[in-house]
Amino acid sequence: MKKHLLLVFFIATVFPVVAALSIAAAGLFHHEKAMERVARSYAEDLVENIAYRLERESFLGRRFSLGMFSSRQLGIFSWGPSIPGWIAVVSSDGTILFSSPGAESLKYLWSPDMPVGRAAEVYDPEGKKYTIAVYPSSDGDIFVVGAVAWEKLLGPMIRFNHLWIFLVIIVFVAALSSFLPLWYWVVIPLKKVVSEISSLKWGSERPVRDDIRAVNEIRSLRQVLYDLSNTSIERNELRSRYINDIVKVQEEEKARIAREIHDGPLQTITALIQQIRLFKRKVDLSDNRSSEHLDIAEEAARNTVRELRGLCDELSPPWIDLGIEHALTELANRLSRYFNINVNVDVEDDLVLSRESIVTLFRVFQEGVNNASRHGKASNVNGSVFSDNGDIKMEIVDDGEGFEPEADLEKLRLKGHRGLANMMERLHLLGGQLHVESFPGRGTRLTCSIPFNKRSQDE
Amino acid sequence: MAVRVLLADDHPLTRAGLKSYLDSEKEIELVGEAEDGQRALEMIRELEPDVALLDIRMPKMDGVTVARMIKESGINVNLIMLTSYDAQQYVLASLRNGAKGFILKTAPPEELARAIMVVSKGGLFLDSEVAGAVGEDELMPETISAREREVLLLAARGFSSKEVASKLFISERTVQTHLASIYDKLGARNKTESLLLALKYGVVTLEELLE
Repeated sequence: MKKHLLLVFFIATVFPVVAALSIAAAGLFHHEKAMERVARSYAEDLVENIAYRLERESFLGRRFSLGMFSSRQLGIFSWGPSIPGWIAVVSSDGTILFSSPGAESLKYLWSPDMPVGRAAEVYDPEGKKYTIAVYPSSDGDIFVVGAVAWEKLLGPMIRFNHLWIFLVIIVFVAALSSFLPLWYWVVIPLKKVVSEISSLKWGSERPVRDDIRAVNEIRSLRQVLYDLSNTSIERNELRSRYINDIVKVQEEEKARIAREIHDGPLQTITALIQQIRLFKRKVDLSDNRSSEHLDIAEEAARNTVRELRGLCDELSPPWIDLGIEHALTELANRLSRYFNINVNVDVEDDLVLSRESIVTLFRVFQEGVNNASRHGKASNVNGSVFSDNGDIKMEIVDDGEGFEPEADLEKLRLKGHRGLANMMERLHLLGGQLHVESFPGRGTRLTCSIPFNKRSQDE
Repeated sequence: MAVRVLLADDHPLTRAGLKSYLDSEKEIELVGEAEDGQRALEMIRELEPDVALLDIRMPKMDGVTVARMIKESGINVNLIMLTSYDAQQYVLASLRNGAKGFILKTAPPEELARAIMVVSKGGLFLDSEVAGAVGEDELMPETISAREREVLLLAARGFSSKEVASKLFISERTVQTHLASIYDKLGARNKTESLLLALKYGVVTLEELLE
């Protein structure tokens, strides 16, 4: 079973309440029983005692009269017993011969079959409780009846006994109502934290910092989570700056090496070829078999020129400087030849972009065609570049095998789509986006967009 | 009268090589050498050569920019772009900016001389190493139909297949069929190549292309 917080609180609140109420109930029950026993023995003692005295008085020959009450022993009839209640002397038919004040209710209580000598509890028509004891006197023609009036004796406590059920209800309601703050200050805030955190994009979003309705512990939990999300964002920013630097330095370095090769060895070897040719022109080598060494040297030099050009193209083709249209068309032609597939690109006329944007689109296009051919086994790739609402958009559509796209960069990387992740990263560096539409068996459509005037904002 | 030529190349060794190439040609007179783009522009204005050989990558101002500025200022000089690079887009960019020839620095001296002679007479010269796999000028391609020519010209001006289709009131698929047929006839692998080859074979003229 799941241990819900509310259940735990329910158990924690209701169990002690039930236990306390049960103990109190048991105590009250025993208390009442004890009181009953005390009242019985008192009533029994009282009537026996009075009966004995009455007998002695009658033995002394005195007739019953009011005067008797003046005697100290029987003064009880004037002022009543020391415990709230009354005492009366009745004839065998129930007529009160004389009694202490308050004995009027006897007529409702009296019954001929009342047990003699043993006290018992009886109730008058109003529901008032009495403990009554009866003791015969004077050979059984009169009876002494003593009663303890519970209501007078234990009035408030009896009322309390009647209120018992209400008290239980009140305690229960109080216990249950303690759930209300619990619900509003603990359970709801906790649920909110959980739902907020579970849908949070770590590294780019922050949760709400504080929840004034929540208990302090949850508020500090929120603060901690907020700080944590901040750290995550900072780390992400650092990482992206780091990647930015790497990409930038890498591109710069590639361009620098390509330039060095172009201006250095490439020119020198070109000059070498020229000199070999000039030499061959000036010197008649037609009958000289050693001239084949020169031919081999020239051929070697020409191959080196081709290799150096290839190297420059791999590093950072100088023709990127021709602008987006020329750069992408040249790239498309080269990729088409390299992969032996159809690669076309259509660039909107007169589109002038920063070198940074061109290099980014160039690399993304390169990666896109590479993916389409290698992974998608596409035979046609069509690219198009156009401006759209202040953004530069590039679409790369292939007729390859397609795949299940995944928007999360990290997951892409884990799934092995490193190319896509790299494209995304490059675009992000220019504040751009990559949108991937693909479905197994239906090819892929990549849509990249970068802000048009990103460069001018930077400078 | 010899053809007056200006040579602009920032690399001293290759410049020296090219100079020697030109010196050995009787019909060519080297009137000046520039080591950067800006100097080349000044010297062209000053010396008014018949032909200027411009390196594409030069300090201060690249060759393509020099060509564009000459075209814009209306100076009457035939330009040949010189480069170490075999990128076909360099050719297109050069032609769009007014160059009449394109030759690799590694081309043999005879070819350079021929390029200068062809261009000085108002012709067009494209290095065979760059302008397509099929190298020989003499090879005449299969005749291209009028419709195919139309499609090629529109495509060459930068219109997409869709735009070409809507201009000619035909379907995009038909445009692509035409293009495929053009590639096949010229021995080209893509639009750029078919364009360069068409220019080279005289199927289309530079003026038509730049219209």
